[in-house]
Amino acid sequence: MVKFRNIRVSLKTGRFYSTRNEYKLICGLEIHTQLNTDNKLFSLSTNAPFKSLNTPNKHVSHFDASLPGTRPKLNYECVLDALKLALSLNCNVNLNSHFDRKHYFYGDQPQGYQLTQHYSPIATEGYMNLYTDIDTIDTPTKKIGIIQLQLEQDTGISHYDNQEKTTMIDLNRSNVPLIELVTKPDFTTIPQVIAFIKKYQNLVRNLDVSTGNLETGAIRVDVNVSVDTYPRVELKNLPNTSSISNAIKYEYKRQVNIIKQGKASELLNCQETRGWNGKETVKLRSKETTIDYRYMPDPELGCVTLDPSIVQNVRNSLPRSSDDEIRSLMEEPYNLSVKNAKLLCVHNEKNEQYTSIEVKDFYLTSFDLFQKSNAKLSFKEKKIVANWVINELLGNLNKLELSLREIKQSFPPEKFVEFIQLIHDGKISNTGGKTLLFYILNLIKEKSISVELNLPKLVNELKIEVQSTINDDELLSQCKDIIDEVNESDPKLIEAIKLGKRINLLNYLVGIAMKKTRGRVKPTEYQRLFKFLLKIE
Amino acid sequence: MSKQQLINKIFFSVKNNVETPLKITGQQLLTYSLKDNICVKAEDDKTTCNSSMLWEYKSPFNSTIYDILSKESNLKFIGKTRLDEFAMGSMGINGPNFNPKDVLNPLFPDRVPGGSSSGSAASVSGGLVDFSLGTDTGGSVRLPASWCGTMGFKPSYGKISRYGVVDMAQSLDTVGVISNDIDKIYHVFKLLDQYDPKDTTSLPEELRFRPPQQDLKSEWKIGIPREICIDLCDPIIWNKFEETLHKLLSVPGVTLHPVSIPSLKLSLPIYYTLCPSEVASNLARYDGVRYGSREKNEFEDQDNDTDITLFASTRSKHFGKEVKRRIMLGNHTLSSGSYQNNYLKAQRLRMRLIDEFNSIFQVRNVLMGKTEIKTNSDEGIDFMLVPTSLTPPPKMDDVVKSQTNKQQEENPVTNYMNDFFTVPMSLAGLPTISIPMSLKSNLGVQIVGQYGDDYKVLNFAKNVMINSNVST
Repeated sequence: MVKFRNIRVSLKTGRFYSTRNEYKLICGLEIHTQLNTDNKLFSLSTNAPFKSLNTPNKHVSHFDASLPGTRPKLNYECVLDALKLALSLNCNVNLNSHFDRKHYFYGDQPQGYQLTQHYSPIATEGYMNLYTDIDTIDTPTKKIGIIQLQLEQDTGISHYDNQEKTTMIDLNRSNVPLIELVTKPDFTTIPQVIAFIKKYQNLVRNLDVSTGNLETGAIRVDVNVSVDTYPRVELKNLPNTSSISNAIKYEYKRQVNIIKQGKASELLNCQETRGWNGKETVKLRSKETTIDYRYMPDPELGCVTLDPSIVQNVRNSLPRSSDDEIRSLMEEPYNLSVKNAKLLCVHNEKNEQYTSIEVKDFYLTSFDLFQKSNAKLSFKEKKIVANWVINELLGNLNKLELSLREIKQSFPPEKFVEFIQLIHDGKISNTGGKTLLFYILNLIKEKSISVELNLPKLVNELKIEVQSTINDDELLSQCKDIIDEVNESDPKLIEAIKLGKRINLLNYLVGIAMKKTRGRVKPTEYQRLFKFLLKIE
Repeated sequence: MSKQQLINKIFFSVKNNVETPLKITGQQLLTYSLKDNICVKAEDDKTTCNSSMLWEYKSPFNSTIYDILSKESNLKFIGKTRLDEFAMGSMGINGPNFNPKDVLNPLFPDRVPGGSSSGSAASVSGGLVDFSLGTDTGGSVRLPASWCGTMGFKPSYGKISRYGVVDMAQSLDTVGVISNDIDKIYHVFKLLDQYDPKDTTSLPEELRFRPPQQDLKSEWKIGIPREICIDLCDPIIWNKFEETLHKLLSVPGVTLHPVSIPSLKLSLPIYYTLCPSEVASNLARYDGVRYGSREKNEFEDQDNDTDITLFASTRSKHFGKEVKRRIMLGNHTLSSGSYQNNYLKAQRLRMRLIDEFNSIFQVRNVLMGKTEIKTNSDEGIDFMLVPTSLTPPPKMDDVVKSQTNKQQEENPVTNYMNDFFTVPMSLAGLPTISIPMSLKSNLGVQIVGQYGDDYKVLNFAKNVMINSNVST
């Protein structure tokens, strides 16, 4: 039984091999993150490598080009960002870190060395927790250890022109601040790796220390893959999460095949670096061609000495963790689903209409206002705000290509709550609400300036007010008509309803009726009438 | 030799005529030269470091020290002077197209001028300028000053900005002043003694002490380290040094004290472990990609890693022998197999050396903060006296011979030994001035003060050594 369940789970997630005991997958990550500080790590040049791709060598100081006689000067903005990240990842902060030179020759490495923190990094010994509900992994929780965080310089960019046989070098990225994060080899499945990366991206965005984009190279991930106790293989050039996932899959299979064929002592005997070309991993370097980086403490930068109070101040200034936020939104009074809670807390990369922060602010403000004006709301009643913000409002914004920022001027949370109150009080029905909401948003879009919204007036104009005093006879004849119509096209259906087989079928009739009266009559009223006409209890 | 001939040999570039009216508006006009590893931004001024690698290099910015000097209306910049390639060498003969006839010592024409600030010392000693700025990493200001028969002052490390001064080894590099006149050295040092935010190792304002007036002290305790008595020292030097000490004893208020700095003997190995490591690292940027010279790739048709071969041909062609030797030595020290045993050990021994220096001086090292260090302050000394070189300047002919002699060349250690008396103060960053032991002598003596005591050293040199005729 247990075995059966395991296979089903793994089939579903496409990781058939990972649950097999014989070949254990082990992964560790090295993540480089470009900080979004105003200036570079050791100079006052503008830090905008991605934005300035079309203007090469525009943001290059004498130091960035490594001219003789120039000196580095540490930009403490980067240290602050590193501290935020380190503390968010539960690391020990090193109060006396320093910079080392890592030597290697490359055309886009102007100093002939990279300034990094090899011997004494700014933070060590942290961790990140992954949870099954929030992060969609296959175990209830997973703790990923973090070995260290270090500040370092990015290199320039080489553009190869094969026809001209030349290399163009752009130093806009030279000396841009990076944080290198090294995890312990704690990952045992690919979804854990992907979950970690996504969570890390969300963290750097939440802290506003990086754009967190893989596509622009603001985050670059190298993966160490090994099987059982064989030496690890480092995978490089992985531009997005799908290539990370595919490359690990490919590399795992490749190593397992080598082991199965008994060639491990020959082909898996030392550490190796491989690249990913989109289809397969290819060898870049192995032990014979390993570079000796000749690390040397930088002789003039000195220690980055931090007062313990600074660390404490940064800790106090940190925003709440996404996990905590999600959990609190899932509890009283909000009671949101995981999905909705994540929508409010996890940064959405590509949506231009609204950010998760904007939606969360809008939701929380609306919720507070709604709760204040309605004492003793039931569990279900509290969910009305989330339903209308997330399902209806955002859906309509997407449809109309409107941004939350735009509509907030005319339709702020105060107005929105006034709108919800109409539904809550039964003044308009859900259907009427939908009509009204779409009408309001469309109005804002067309006028494109701030619109004065008088909700009662609009309800009147649209004739969607629920009429509690509506004539019973009129309604009865209307219901009769509907039953006749349905009976004509599908007589079995009415029979089934009469037999009380499925309550949903009754609602089908109610739906038709609601449409005809544009939601002016409460659905419960229709239910009562249909039951009366069809003589069901 | 005519003045023009002197100029041609000593200067790489001449910006202004050396012949100038001596006074402007009542002020004395002072002329100066700069070692050619100090950046000056100008259309036609190059900063070559006397290396083929930077032969056409023009710096787009000024060094801080040039910025300061050029603002003074009574100072006039004459030009950039000769040096050993990238400031590495103690003879003044390292560089592309070496010609023994180009390198000269104006007062002692058959002798080498000493290095690496050879042109700086020669331009002063030849009477072409009033003062010159050089750089001193292990003795490169003091040694040529002494061999050219003039004075060279290496201030405390971090006192004078290094921004725009081409690096040799940052943890040791110090800009120094050379002049025949102690008052000029004092004046120029005082001008340059200011905090520079562009240089991370520039001493913070609060640790700089500028005496409001001259030191009026009348009692001086002079320490002579036991460890300087070594066989390698030429008897001529030793005799002259003893003579100087005798004269000094006759000055009222001066007492001599034997002191011990056991690590002094380790200074050379420490220096030649750390300095080349920094050199190897600093010179990695000269790859021919962005500036300087680029060699055609010798292996262009081959498929292998073209980046590596491009750098290799550029670097092997444009660096001189001594530069390459130190790069190799440094890379060896930094290689993963050697780092722990050599580099880190040398760093620890350097700290020990500094501690030993701190223990002999009466005043505390300003860098040590307020922590009490174990010193017998009653008995502590004010200054230390040490000769500048192990030998008088060698004859140019002998040096040229040894350069062409394969066996000699393979043993550069002999040359390195010459730094024995100057390197310890570089490792500890101590203010040190070398002055001739007698008028226009090419044998120098160093006065060494505690870290930060630069003005005290200069005052002692003036009031006791010069004005009391100890060294004249």
